[in-house]
Parts: sequence; structure tokens; C-alpha cells
Amino acid sequence: MANMRSKINEIYALEQLSGGDSAVHRRHPLVKLVSAFVYIVLVVSFGRTEFLRLAPFVFYPVVLMALSETPWRIVLGRMALALPFVIVAGASNIIFDRATAFTIGGIAVSFGTVSFFSILYRTFLCVTAVLLLVAVTPFAQLTDQLRRMHVPDVFVTLFEMIYRYIGVLLDEASTMYTAYMLRSTEHRGLQMAHMGSFVGQLLIRSYDRAERVYAAMKCRGYGGAARRGARRKLQPADYAYLALTCLPFILLRLVDAAAVFERLF
Amino acid sequence: MIEIMNLTVVYPDGTKAVDDVSLTIRDGERVALVGANGAGKTSLLLALVGVLPLTSGTVSADGLELSKKTLSDIRRKVGMVFQNPDDQLFMPMIADDVAFGPRNYGLGEEETARRVDGALDMLGISHLKNRSSLKLSGGEKRMAAIATVLTMEPSALLFDEPTAFLDPKARRGLIGVLKKLGQSQVIATHDLTFAEEVCSRTILLKQGRIYADGDPKILFRDEKLMDDCGIEAIM
Amino acid sequence: MHMADALLSPAVGGAMYALGAAAVTYSAVKVKKDDLGEKKLPVMAVSGAFVFAAQMINFTIPGTGSSGHIGGGVLLAAMLGGAPALLTIAAVLIIQCLFFADGGLLALGANIFNIGVIPCLLAFPLIYKPILKRGFTFKRLTAASVITVVVGLQLGAFGVVLETLASGVTELPFGTFAVLMQPIHLAIGLIEGIITAAVLGFVYKMRPEIMESTVAGTPVGSQVSVKRVITVLAAATVIVGGALSLFASSNPDGLEWAIINTAGTAELEAADDIRQSAAQLQEKISFMPDYDYATAGEEGSSTGTTVAGIVGGAMTFVLAGVTGLLITLSKKKKGAAKA
Repeated sequence: MANMRSKINEIYALEQLSGGDSAVHRRHPLVKLVSAFVYIVLVVSFGRTEFLRLAPFVFYPVVLMALSETPWRIVLGRMALALPFVIVAGASNIIFDRATAFTIGGIAVSFGTVSFFSILYRTFLCVTAVLLLVAVTPFAQLTDQLRRMHVPDVFVTLFEMIYRYIGVLLDEASTMYTAYMLRSTEHRGLQMAHMGSFVGQLLIRSYDRAERVYAAMKCRGYGGAARRGARRKLQPADYAYLALTCLPFILLRLVDAAAVFERLF
Repeated sequence: MIEIMNLTVVYPDGTKAVDDVSLTIRDGERVALVGANGAGKTSLLLALVGVLPLTSGTVSADGLELSKKTLSDIRRKVGMVFQNPDDQLFMPMIADDVAFGPRNYGLGEEETARRVDGALDMLGISHLKNRSSLKLSGGEKRMAAIATVLTMEPSALLFDEPTAFLDPKARRGLIGVLKKLGQSQVIATHDLTFAEEVCSRTILLKQGRIYADGDPKILFRDEKLMDDCGIEAIM
Repeated sequence: MHMADALLSPAVGGAMYALGAAAVTYSAVKVKKDDLGEKKLPVMAVSGAFVFAAQMINFTIPGTGSSGHIGGGVLLAAMLGGAPALLTIAAVLIIQCLFFADGGLLALGANIFNIGVIPCLLAFPLIYKPILKRGFTFKRLTAASVITVVVGLQLGAFGVVLETLASGVTELPFGTFAVLMQPIHLAIGLIEGIITAAVLGFVYKMRPEIMESTVAGTPVGSQVSVKRVITVLAAATVIVGGALSLFASSNPDGLEWAIINTAGTAELEAADDIRQSAAQLQEKISFMPDYDYATAGEEGSSTGTTVAGIVGGAMTFVLAGVTGLLITLSKKKKGAAKA
């Protein structure tokens, strides 16, 4: 199934990007994680209708994407995935909140419309922040950081292994699915009647694979003990990155820049 | 040196996968393990590293007998390369997979890094170090899987169907690598011309028992013998 | 059913994070204590990847011509047990969030709760296990799967409704939202329940040993631990939610407008008080006051401000775009100079 193959490529695309070498890539994974988190919390802490005050926040993705040479194509493509639910929830604002926010050229614009676009815009900002984080942080550094933050080791190892096996299993599933579709007359998907044995078959194969993986791990001395990479110290550049990516936006959250400009002019 | 004495492996459902096998593999010797599907090749290999429990008999590597206590040491001495590299490669990056063994054995990061680079270099796949196994070719995956075992610096290597998933060129590369490695090797395979080129000795298995033991160039051309084992002889 | 960042407020997101983190920690400790970790890890990992893959398989919903896919929480719990299933689902959700923008980083806690905690730690031990405790038959398996999935999904959908409303980002009235969400998820739940039953039935027929362990496993202790989970989760929510609300109260957002716009005139005065005190607070915190709250609702009066605002906003975007372009260009130049 083309859908599954493209998923494998999607994972791979971000992974490839994270291997890059830019000023952003070189920063400590901790500061990248904290920076993304602070940014998202700031973005969503604005009120629904405060569209304008969010405008300067666009600098975060634009500047970081340019510095890290992350192509927009990937991020925008991923963005489409997050949209449907957000659009449904946001569209309700247009319907339910009809009070006029302002008129422009005689056309009344409602608070609902403003908040609808505000939600879409915020989705864009949040999604880009997360994808950027992954695009500039190699997976191994990310999980290493999680371990240092005392996320249970069982969980982090599980996370690493699932990440790896998604590719393998999608491959298996897509081969089975293709074989099924080639023999079915209706080209719409699996029929309910076959769902149990198809998915069940995939599951049992997965279990058999799990057993072999476990054996292969044991053969290389696996005992479930915590493993860690070399410790990495925070460099001055890391602190600088944190300050540069967080402070301006914290300031923008506390101070209404637009209002300041208005007072000035 | 691997010594196997009267080894029998019975599965919980009663199937006798390995039946009274005795065998000595000398240092640096490359031995092919040949037999029809279900003849017990994989079971024998898995028993040697204690993944399958021994029902009776003994196994020892470099004089160390396999038991619960020595399991971890044996696995360090005897490295197993599984049939499907996807079973062996599970970390996000090849470098992590290759470092998995040494890290588990508590070797420091410096030593681990040295071994990782050494193994990748030896197999000519240094460029794959920071790649994900998701997008490697069959041949690259095979080499990476071998590297994950080499970093434990074992004295013997076990291979289960190493030519599976390989195209002719990758198969040729593998032959070169196996010949270059100094360790004793036990190679379970259906690929007779491959076995002939790499190994100086062949064990023919039939229903879990040793049916013949000798020079592959002679055994593989014995039509009657091969037919008995359910394999097509080389004409 | 994945929640997005943009629909959550920091307080709700943070509270749900605490819940999610507590549930993950609890499950990790339990998995470790039961000594399942080492032996079960590969099985859990493959199951997680399996759920991910299975979600990609669309099936046709009979009679409707539309298609859906499975969620997998109950299926995982039936195969692995509640705590390992929760860890697995949580890991899958993190991967979906990080690599596919499916559910946000801030919304992760909410998603782990709705899609993981509810089916794995609540519905599974309280519904599925008791039904199968009296012995394993295909009829009971089917009943248990369907009921557990349906209840789990209903609660999960309700969780989405509550979290969204509590965040005050959308304008949907509670009733309308619930009426939209619940029946859709009833239909999805019935189908997923049937599929779950079919898959489990198939696995039971082919490999009974995989499933018997979880059906038979920990029959008595489960009730006690569920109670403990709920206590821990509740405490964590209150503490974190409370702390974050303090921070977030400086921001008079959705709730205020919701009151003004949807309530009757009788309540407007009370709302006005809230709004004013909120506006005062806002003024205290920002050293420049926000653009004029009190008159913004009245037509025309703030047009000048707004036009200036829009122009300013547009200029910001242009400036950001130019900055990005300049950085990209200078990098290219550098790259060319090096080469």
C-alpha cells in the first residue's frame, strides 16, 4: 500500500535531517527540548482572539528552519495531518461566536472568524515547533536525554524499539495488504470478514519476530540494565540558544508589542 | 574451539530438533551446516549459544562449558548472526546497534567506540554508521548485523543462512568477508556453491542427526547421499 | 481522536501531563516489579509497532461506504496486560506526535490519558477481566472485547470534550459537542470492538498460549491497584492543574468571551464583573495594556486600532519571511564559498 510505504519514508526523512550539522543541530538536546516546550506553552497561553499578538511568534520557526536548513515541504506536509480535527473544532467558533470583532471596509468580522484563524495559526506554530525539534535532534540523543531526565528506562527502551519496528512491520503489513488487494475485486480496503484473520496473522507474525529479536539481543549480552551514552555538558552556546529562543517570546507574552508601537506613533 | 558432546534438543511439544550430535570445531575452521528444511540447523546453532535449552549433552567453547553461570561468557565468545538482519538491528542508528553488545558488557564508551569503528571499517561499511537500518539494502543490513557481533570480539561465529536476502554482488562481498575473518565459523546454509567456496568442511544433517561429515567438494557431488538428505547434489 | 496543542490551554495540558506521567511511571514500576520488563520488552515493542501498522489498514464500514481504522488500546491490554499496554500505547503516541504531527507535544498527556489510561488501566481491568474471569469462551471474548472497547472509546471521547471545553479554545457548547462526539465514537467503538474480538479470537485459535497468561494473570490484586492508580492520578492532577491555573489566570481568555457571547442578558452583569477584574489583572501584569478589551466588541469604535494592527501583523510576517530568506541565502553563499 502506497500509504504505508510513504509512512516509512516520512520517518526516514526526519531522521536524515537530524543527522545534519548546523548551529542548531549542534546544540545540546536538553535546550532544544526545553525551548520547544516553552515556546508551545507560550503560544497556547494566548487567548483565542489574540491573533495579532501571536504574529511575531512566527519568527521562531522561520529563523530556526532557515538556520537548520530544514525544508518547509516536509513540515507543511505533516501539518496537513494535524488539521482535520482542528478545523472541525475551530469552525464551530465561526458558527457559535458571531459577535463582531471589528469591521474592515464595511465588512464585519466576527470573533468566531478571528479565533478560527487564530486556532489554525497556532496549530501551525505548535506543529512546526515539534517537527523542528525532531528534525534537528538525532533520535539517539533524544532518548538519551529522556533517560537523563529519569524517564523510566523500560519506557525509553520500549520507545526506541517501537520506533525501529514500525518500519519493519509496516513493510510486512504493506506486503500482506498488497497481496490481498491484488486478489480482491473491490479495491476499497479490507473487508470486515477478513479483518480478524488478516490483523491476527500480522499480530502472530509480530510475536514470532519479537521472540527472535529477543534471542538476538540476549546473544549480545542484553540484561535489561540501563545503558547510557557519553555524558554531554551544557556549553555556553547551549545557554545562548536557550536564551535567544525563549526570552524574546516570553517578553512578547508579557508585553503587547503592538500596543507599544501604537503608543509610540 | 567448540566442542559438542551428545547434544540433544527436544522442543516442549516433543519434537526432537537435534538428536545426539557430537562435533568438534577447531580454531579458525569454517564448517558448513547443510540439510533440508527442518533438519535441525537453526536449532543446533541456537543451542550452542543457550537460546534453546539443552535437553541432554554438553557444549563448550574454549574449554568453558555452557551452563547458566557461564551463559554470559559463552555468548561473548560465540557470536550468533541471525538469518534475518531485521531481528538483529533494532536501534534507530547502525552505530547504536553495533555498540549494543559492548555496552551491555560494560566496556567503556571509549573502548566501545573503538570497537564500533573497527568492526565497521573491517566490513567496509563505515559510511553506514549514522544511518538508519530502515533504508539499507539487504547486503548492507547483513554486514551491519555481522558488525553487531564482531564488536564483542568473539572467538567463534555462527551464521544462519547468511546468503538469504542477498543479490549476487552482495553474496560475493560476503564470501570475501567470511574468508577474511579469523574466527572459527559454523555456517548453516542451503547455498551449496557458497558453502563449497567458503568452507573446508561440511556437516550434513538429517532429522537432527549428523548424516555425513567431510569435504564439501566430495559430499555435494554424491548424488545418493545428498538425495537421502533431501537436497539436490551439485552436478 | 488525537487532541492537538492548539485546542488546549497550558493549565489543562499541564494537568493532563501530570496524569499521563503518573500513569506511565506507575506502569513502568509495575512492569519492573512483576519482572516483566526484560522478557516482555520485545513483545511490547513489536505490539506497539503492530498497532501503528494496524492503524494504517483501513477497513470498509459495512453499509456506509466509509472507512475507519482500529485504535488498539484494549487489544494491546488483552495481549500484554494493562500496565505493559499503557507503556506501549504511550510510546506509540509519542512517536505519532514527534514524527507525524498527530497530536501535539503539549497535548501528549491528554492523549495518553484518553487513548491509553482509559482503555488499558480502567476499562480493561474493570470490564474485560471480570467478564473473562469465569472462563474463556468465544462468546465471552466477543462480549468482553466489544463492551470494553465501546466503553473505553466513549469515555475517551468524553475526555476530549471535557479537555477542550476546560481549555476554552473553542466555542462549542457542551451539549452540542457531546452530541457530536459520542454517537460517532459509538459507531467507531462497535466496529473496533468487533475487530478486536475477531483478532483476539484468531490469536486464541492459533496461539492460545499468548493470551492465556494475561487472562489468568493477577486476578485479585487488580482492583486494589486500580484504586491506587486513580488516587495517584487525581492527586497529581489537582496539584499541577492548580499550580498552572495560577500562572494561566493572568490570561483572561476563552471562558470570558464564552460567557459574554452565549449567556443570556441576565448573566451579563456578573460576566461584566469578571471581565473587568480580569482586565484589571491584565493591566497590572502587562506594563502596556492589551488592545482595548472593553470596546472591542462594539462595532466600529476600534477600527483604527484594528487596521493598524492588521498592517503591523502583516509587516511582522513579511519581516520574518525576509529574515528567513536572508539566513538561507547567506548560508548558501557560505556553502558555495567553501565548495
